[in-house]
Order: sequence, then structure tokens, then C-alpha cells
Amino acid sequence: MNDSQMFDHRPDPELGAALRAALEPRQESAFVARVMAGYDEALRRATVPTWDVLASWFRPGVAAAAAALLAGFLIGRTVLFAGAGGGAAAVSMDAAIASAAVGGPGRGVAALVTAPSPPDPSIVFTSLVEQR
Amino acid sequence: MGSEADDRGLVAKTLAGDRAAFGELVERYAAQARRVARAVLGDPDDADDAAQDGFLSALVKLAQYDARRPFGPWLMRIVANAATDRRRRRSVRRAEPLDPALVGGGPRPDAAAVQSELGDRLRAALAELPERRRTAVVLFDVEGYSHAEIAGMLGVPEGTVRSEVFHGRRRLRALLADWKEQVK
Repeated sequence: MNDSQMFDHRPDPELGAALRAALEPRQESAFVARVMAGYDEALRRATVPTWDVLASWFRPGVAAAAAALLAGFLIGRTVLFAGAGGGAAAVSMDAAIASAAVGGPGRGVAALVTAPSPPDPSIVFTSLVEQR
Repeated sequence: MGSEADDRGLVAKTLAGDRAAFGELVERYAAQARRVARAVLGDPDDADDAAQDGFLSALVKLAQYDARRPFGPWLMRIVANAATDRRRRRSVRRAEPLDPALVGGGPRPDAAAVQSELGDRLRAALAELPERRRTAVVLFDVEGYSHAEIAGMLGVPEGTVRSEVFHGRRRLRALLADWKEQVK
């Protein structure tokens, strides 16, 4: 057989027969009986695990759901209380500077930020005193 | 082996819960499945375990079988996968080292042992081939599947199957030719 024949799309009967003889199994009826002995077990395993899996997931699932509910409740309560009774809301830098520009509290900080020259120590000192 | 129409009928009956129909399918494909599994695994006992796994796995997955396609390639794909899985799990039990006398050369056998020893040499030569190559050769030259069907079973392109069959055949044909020279 040359290389082109080896690429032949047809099976090689001589090689096929030799390989078939080399691989031929014995006791076929015993093998069939052995497979059939596993028939019921295979079908049982194919159906029962669904319930087993659901049952095994049930307890951890309930526990996880309860933990998630509790965490959600605690986070929600914290957010609600912070919003309603938390006192002064955060003030942005722009708002602080704007209030300083009209002479409100924190004008020392505004002067420090907007000054074209290095800050005067007295201004810094004044702003620190005002913070108290 | 029965026709594809017969296979489809048996599959339908099996799906309806007919145990005997599944038994008939097993009888039809037992020898083929065991040969394919043996091509992958080498050891006949491991091969039978894998073939059994394959049949029972096919039983469980039977509802997924597309009845418009031939049953044999679908089943052999499952069997080949079962054999490959078993070979991967078989990490502790390694294959026995090959006897060099079986692969090439060796003393001339007496007439009574000619066929037996040829079988030994072919099995040893098969064991030397990469798994996909020996599986492809057996599926093509022994079981008569087309390159396209084997490509579907092994999950590789058809060109790869042609190449694997080519290289596998070259090795096995050389061994067979040597053998014929010796027994002349």
C-alpha cells in the first residue's frame, strides 16, 4: 500500500480483519447480562438525584436566604437612620467656598484656597481658631 | 447489526420503558462498543467496564438522541468518551510496558500460534499509537464508519481524522507486511 492508498476513503479489509480479530471480545452474552444488570440502577440514579440535589440545596438555600434578608434589613435600617436623624448633611467644597465668600463660617478656608500668593500665617491661624 | 430504522424503533421502545428493547440494542452494539473501548484502553477488562458505562450512560441520555441521525455513531461517541474518562482516571494502574519482541522482530512463531501472536503484535502496535489515532483507525477500518462520522464522534475536524487514519495505517500496515514476510 502506498501513501495515496493510505488516504483512501474506503476501509482496508485486510487490516480491518486483522484488527477485528485482535480486538474481538469474548463472552458476549455475559457482557450483555452485565449491562442489563445495571439497567434499573442507571435509571434510578438518573431520576433520584434531582430530588437529592433539591433536598441537599434546601437547608443551605433557606439559611442563605435568611442571611440575605437579615443583611438587607440591617443595611436598609442604617441607611434610613443616617438619612433621617443623622444631623448635618455633608457639605460640598463649592458650597463651603460660596458661603465663605458671603462672609459665612469658613471664610478663612476660602481665603486660603483662593489667594494668589502664599497664605498669610495669620489667616491660617484665624481659620483654625474659627474651627473651634 | 440491524438497520437504522430498526435502531430507531428500539430506541423509541426503550424510551417508552421497554427493557427488552434496550437489551436488543446492547446485543447489536456490544461487540463494536467493546472493540472501540479496547482500542482506547488496551486492557480488555477496563474496556468492558468502559463499554458498560457507555451503554448505561446512553440509556440515561437516550431522550437527547436525535432519531434523524444514525444511532451507531451517537452511541460510539458516548462509549469512546467513557473509555477516555476511564483512561484518565486510571492514573494509578499504568499500562504494562510493551514487550519489544511483540512489536517488531522476535522469534518466528510455530504454526499454531500464528494468529494469536499476530493479534498480540497488533494490539501492542495499537498501544504505541496515540489514543485518537488508534481509535480513528479502529472506527474506520474495523467498524466501517466514515471520516465525517468519526470526526463527529471524536469532536475533531474531518481532515484530522483523515490524517490520523493515514498515520495509524502506515504503522499497522508496515507491521502486517513484516508479519506476512515472516510467515511465508
